[in-house]
Amino acid sequence: MQGNGFKVGAVIFFLALSAWYLFPSFRGLSLNNRLGGMSQEERVDYERDNFSTIESIKEKSLNLGLDLQGGMHITMEVGLRELISELASERRDEAFDEVLAAADARSEAENISLIDAFVDEFENRDPDASLSRYFRSEEITRRSSNSEVTQYLQVQGADAIERAMQVIRNRVDRFGVTEPSIQTQGSRRIVVELPGIDDPERVRALLKGTARLGFHLMADPGELNSSLQRIISYYEVDIAPPADSLDVGEEEINEEAESDTSFDVSQLLAETDDLDDAGNALLDVLILIPSGQNPVAFGEVAAQDTAAFNALIADPEVQAMLPRDIELRYDANPSSVSGSEYFPVLAVNRNIELTGEAITDARADFDPQTNQPLVDMEMNSEGARIWSRLTGANVGKNVAIVLDGVVYSYPTVIGQISGGRSQITGLASQEESEDIVTVLKSGALPAPVEIVEERTVGPSLGVVARKAGFTSLMVGLTIVVLFMIVYYRAGGMVADMALIINIIFIMGILAGFNATLTLPGIAGIVLTIGMAVDANVLIFERIREEQSTGKTLKASIDGGYSKALSAIIDANITTFFVGLILYSFGVGPIQGFAVTLMAGILASLFSAIVFTRIIFDYAVIGRRMSVNFG
Amino acid sequence: MRIFENTDFNLVGSRRRGYILSGILILLSLGAIVTRGLELGIDFRGGMEFVVESSQVLDATAVRTALTSVLETSPEVKTYSDVGAGGRDALLIRTPSEGETTEIQTMVVQGISDAFPGSDPQVIKTDVVGPRFAEDLKRGSLYAVLGSLLVIFLYVMLRFEWRFGLGAVAALFHDVLITLGIFSLLQGFLPFSLQIDQAIIAAFLTIVGYSLNDTVVIFDRIREYTNLFKTEPYKIVVNRSVNTTLSRTVITSGTTLLVVTTLFIFGGEVLRGFTFALIIGVIIGTYSSVFVATPVVVELYSRSGSARRAVRR
Repeated sequence: MQGNGFKVGAVIFFLALSAWYLFPSFRGLSLNNRLGGMSQEERVDYERDNFSTIESIKEKSLNLGLDLQGGMHITMEVGLRELISELASERRDEAFDEVLAAADARSEAENISLIDAFVDEFENRDPDASLSRYFRSEEITRRSSNSEVTQYLQVQGADAIERAMQVIRNRVDRFGVTEPSIQTQGSRRIVVELPGIDDPERVRALLKGTARLGFHLMADPGELNSSLQRIISYYEVDIAPPADSLDVGEEEINEEAESDTSFDVSQLLAETDDLDDAGNALLDVLILIPSGQNPVAFGEVAAQDTAAFNALIADPEVQAMLPRDIELRYDANPSSVSGSEYFPVLAVNRNIELTGEAITDARADFDPQTNQPLVDMEMNSEGARIWSRLTGANVGKNVAIVLDGVVYSYPTVIGQISGGRSQITGLASQEESEDIVTVLKSGALPAPVEIVEERTVGPSLGVVARKAGFTSLMVGLTIVVLFMIVYYRAGGMVADMALIINIIFIMGILAGFNATLTLPGIAGIVLTIGMAVDANVLIFERIREEQSTGKTLKASIDGGYSKALSAIIDANITTFFVGLILYSFGVGPIQGFAVTLMAGILASLFSAIVFTRIIFDYAVIGRRMSVNFG
Repeated sequence: MRIFENTDFNLVGSRRRGYILSGILILLSLGAIVTRGLELGIDFRGGMEFVVESSQVLDATAVRTALTSVLETSPEVKTYSDVGAGGRDALLIRTPSEGETTEIQTMVVQGISDAFPGSDPQVIKTDVVGPRFAEDLKRGSLYAVLGSLLVIFLYVMLRFEWRFGLGAVAALFHDVLITLGIFSLLQGFLPFSLQIDQAIIAAFLTIVGYSLNDTVVIFDRIREYTNLFKTEPYKIVVNRSVNTTLSRTVITSGTTLLVVTTLFIFGGEVLRGFTFALIIGVIIGTYSSVFVATPVVVELYSRSGSARRAVRR
């Protein structure tokens, strides 16, 4: 028993750690059960009251892959070729297009970056030619070397991905998906995962379109305030809003897709909200802003109330109460108060005064005097003309910068701006100025994104897969557990205990590393069950061999463990390597399989070598029991 | 309960029979792969796959005919066993078409509902892989397979010696080749898809890992016994090693085969090709550790002249 204190400690420690990581998943399960038993109305109230708890449970729970819960997995590719073309713009010539086409073919064939291939092809064609002939910017002049231009292109390429991410994130936020995931993959791909989506056509259409950036005027504060009062009193008297289709005018139908999609996300929520009239339905979700603080804002809405607010505002009669041509848009930057996020609602004119194509460049900078962050923005000549007229006529008013229907900034016009160079000042942080630059550029340099891979699993199929995985796991486990007891008797029972602990460890490792459980992942666990007993089989066979030479039980156990060890380690390390390679080359579900395979090996090594040994030592040395190895 | 205990099969002596069997299997596999080829899934070929659920049982051939005129290319149509609630029937439709997913999807759904009024077709699963992305997946898989084989060879060489490394890798090639051959031979004859996709590659690598696991256990015993029985002929020592580990080999293969078969039966349509590969792989992998990996080591030893040499530990 000597020296086992550490082993016992380790087993307890890892079990406790697994339990700690798995606890949120269990809470998640019981939460789902509780929500399932509630009526729609209770459920909405419960979700509202416990918003932050539910969010945190969801965040920490074991993630289920899209194949198990249904949803969409989309890989998108940013069109670097179009970006390079766009950057060269009017300086492009025939030679340029040929080089670019050749580079595109080569980057595909040889799996190298398009920019490297482009520069290489260019230099191959004419070693003395200068790339700076085609590209011109703040940093690139006629005398810039080819390597400087290469670097510039690489920065632009990285920026394009960044902008595409921003645009995609912005759009995904409006699907109302609970846990969307957006990640870059390699140098030009973006992977979007949307659990529980049941309308793939809409997602495809929305993700693919190029970003639309526009400058809009905003509502007159006086008009806005009186319409706000009218809408509040509309909900005060609580007229059940008649959904009269005749009221919906032509304009409403022509409204941009994203605004009505965001409004229909949760009609149900709104309907139940109207029924419980504890107070004013609107003021339940809308926080008014003290007068004078932000005259173009309608109010603020907490993140969890946005769906309910959207539904209230979607009422045609309410829409009619808004000032002419004004629509309500969220601010992209929520204010954060004690862990909850509040989104300002801004009143923006629906007419686009100037589109993002007018912008030629934008940079984040600092005011040389005050050292405050600011954004420099440049426009082309036509844009500058419109901008000059617009700013001249609206001094003292706000201009909203709207990307895909979300307001990113709404600076106040200080004076007429002619010449096309403007500054946005009064920003809170450098981060904010960089965000605005990203937004401004996504209108200026629209690098097209294309869907190159899509995997969609309907929710009903997800349920089928989940059941299939669970059944296989249970049946596989039962068969192996019974077999071990039949074949190795008491030894088998100890091995079975190790097997159960093993599964707890695997789940704990998955939850702890925030890995995703997929159907191939479950297959990996089931396979591990079959192979996990291997370590014990090796040990038990050795113990039997030792016993047959006439050794005592204790000596046989000692010999069995020590002699089997090298085989166990060698056999498992190689399989672990295979898991590692699968993980680095595979994608999605295959990675899920690799992760469970690796977790399974680690867990089974530990449980089969350390855990079973403790039990045998305790039984044989501690209690002087006789253990039957069949 | 004990099986295969204290066996004394002359496994090394009968290795020639193993060579003949393996030779025949490899020739058959190569023949099948050359003549029948391997069917690549959309992961490696690009294309679209839809699982369409319908309220009535649709005949796969009739659906294929109906869709051929709509899509202007002949899609593959198979029955699909996993369906959602309500006992509806489902078909898997695979087409090499390129273009807008939504457009093709609409054409498929429209085509079916026109040809079979009242069937209420609904797409419940979509897989789309662009040609460029397919190229990348193919490359990634190739790297994964070659990388694993290399890592395994290096590891076994480092822990044992080069003869063992060669023996292990020979067995792995043998296993993967024969599994591929069986896939090629059986494609079209089984009620589920045997296309080579990412999951099948993962299955191959798992087979590689599993087969190696088996092989290493035998090698470990050979390593131990060569040090223990220095005076006995190498072949006898090897044969004893194989025999003493035989019981373990059979038990572990047995439990693994049990769980893999469980997965094959209960794991659903998505995993069927994957688990089928595993079933074949476990059987072949177990056989090859005894009849390929170990004999290769024996042959290499007898060729190298010094028939007996201590194995590095």
